[in-house]
Amino acid sequence: MIHLARAELLKLRSTRTAMGLGIATAVVALVPSILLVALLPIDDLSRDQAATDLIGVSALVPYVLLVFGILGMTNEYRHGTITYTYLATPRRWQVMVVKLAVYALVGMVLMLLTLVAVHLVVLIGGEARGVSMLTFGDLDFVDYARQIVVAGLMTAFGVSLGALFRAQVPTVASVLIWALAVEGIIAAFKPAVGTWLPFVVFAQVTGGRLGGDTGVGLGRPEAFLVSIAYIGIASVAAVYLSMRRDVT
Amino acid sequence: MPVIEAEQLTKRFGKKVLAVDDISFAIEPGTITGVLGPNGAGKTTTLRMILDLVRPTSGSVRILGRRYRDLDAPAMRVGALLDASGFHPGRSGRNALRVIATGARIPAVRVERALELVELEGAAKRAVKGYSTGMRQRLALAAALLGDPDVLILDEPTNGLDPEGMRWLRTFLRAQAEHGRTVLVSSHVLAEVEQTVDDVLIMSEGKLLAQGPIATLTSSAQPVVRVRTPQAEKLEAALRSAGASVTRLGEALAIRGPSAAQVGDVAHAQGLPVHELLTEQPSLEDLFLQIAGTRRGQ
Repeated sequence: MIHLARAELLKLRSTRTAMGLGIATAVVALVPSILLVALLPIDDLSRDQAATDLIGVSALVPYVLLVFGILGMTNEYRHGTITYTYLATPRRWQVMVVKLAVYALVGMVLMLLTLVAVHLVVLIGGEARGVSMLTFGDLDFVDYARQIVVAGLMTAFGVSLGALFRAQVPTVASVLIWALAVEGIIAAFKPAVGTWLPFVVFAQVTGGRLGGDTGVGLGRPEAFLVSIAYIGIASVAAVYLSMRRDVT
Repeated sequence: MPVIEAEQLTKRFGKKVLAVDDISFAIEPGTITGVLGPNGAGKTTTLRMILDLVRPTSGSVRILGRRYRDLDAPAMRVGALLDASGFHPGRSGRNALRVIATGARIPAVRVERALELVELEGAAKRAVKGYSTGMRQRLALAAALLGDPDVLILDEPTNGLDPEGMRWLRTFLRAQAEHGRTVLVSSHVLAEVEQTVDDVLIMSEGKLLAQGPIATLTSSAQPVVRVRTPQAEKLEAALRSAGASVTRLGEALAIRGPSAAQVGDVAHAQGLPVHELLTEQPSLEDLFLQIAGTRRGQ
């Protein structure tokens, strides 16, 4: 199935999707970190937590990658390219499995690059302003690995949602409203329910237990397993529906 | 062995729409077969069922002896043109073909060959959104030819082509058949494919009304007598009362049933002037109207 992976990567390279994704990632993560390093008072930059807080702006990148995943699948339906994709590979499960894997991988690579870039901004920007905010001992590689894995999972989740709902604009809009607003509201008013919602679960893998030590939220290992379950269910449903649907 | 064989193929969308109703046919190798019928006849659904894009509600269809999905390297054995708008508008023509070729494990060299075949090399670098309808149609044809397939399935390939493009396509299809390829081509413009195809499948409202070699079908159809008279209304009434089937086209009448001599006799008996009287072998369109009319009358 290597040829299918190559075709997916060529699809990404041969349109402006990759460039758009880079710009969106820069807007979401790099621009805020640059502005904060450049504009915050020296006292704020000298705090112990300053570097961690600045690097934390990259937490929004997985949402960009979620949209990237949705677009990757819905574009196939929107532009009708799904017809050629299935004519070339009529065993549709192969197309879906490869697309999920490729997008997850691309999502992880982009998250890694974002983390590296944000760290460089903090390091170089801090030095330029005469503040040493980041040392090698500050680097939390386990946390970075968690963020990278969650970014990959959310990208694949986006592909699954795109395959399930197909209509591009309604899917992107409703998923973002759900992820960024509805789940937060539910989690605030009904934490026992909210803690199990997909995007709150993803956030608990990287950000820690919802509600701190109140015992309501999930620990990181549990949150990770629930995340995998969500991705698994969405992916299986996406593959199943893709195999059964008529391409008219 | 037939190249394509459908048995009691039926497709229902929801409970109300019966798109294809229990059709069976066989396509022989090395022929150009036209799937003809008006819009909504079920032509596209039939072609998509052959290619496993649409699941039949019942019945089965095999291509090269198997279901499409069970073919080894299907895109190298069957080429399909289904939708000329099925390309990402921001991708260049060449890259659109490269994506398809990579996914189908078709060697990259075939991309350039296919672009040459449809005479699109000059526009290959341009984004598809800048292509005219005819250029998109040619690009879709290039996509169908990428794998140098034995079978070509083309859905309304003349859509958007100018007269020169249509002539080019006719010559092209004929050359494909001469090279031993089997071509299945759908169209709702019957006169357009009449000069190109060997066999026809005539569909209407999801049903297969007739199938066979075009020459056999048209020769077995009733000839049409055409008569022109300044008193067409009176002659029409007289012929109808004599039991003929008459279609009026201004001063002219198209008559099925009586011979030219009998029509002349009726006009003479009524004292009506006749400016033109001739017998025509029916065209494919006449044949379709006859068959569809007979069906509706049943």
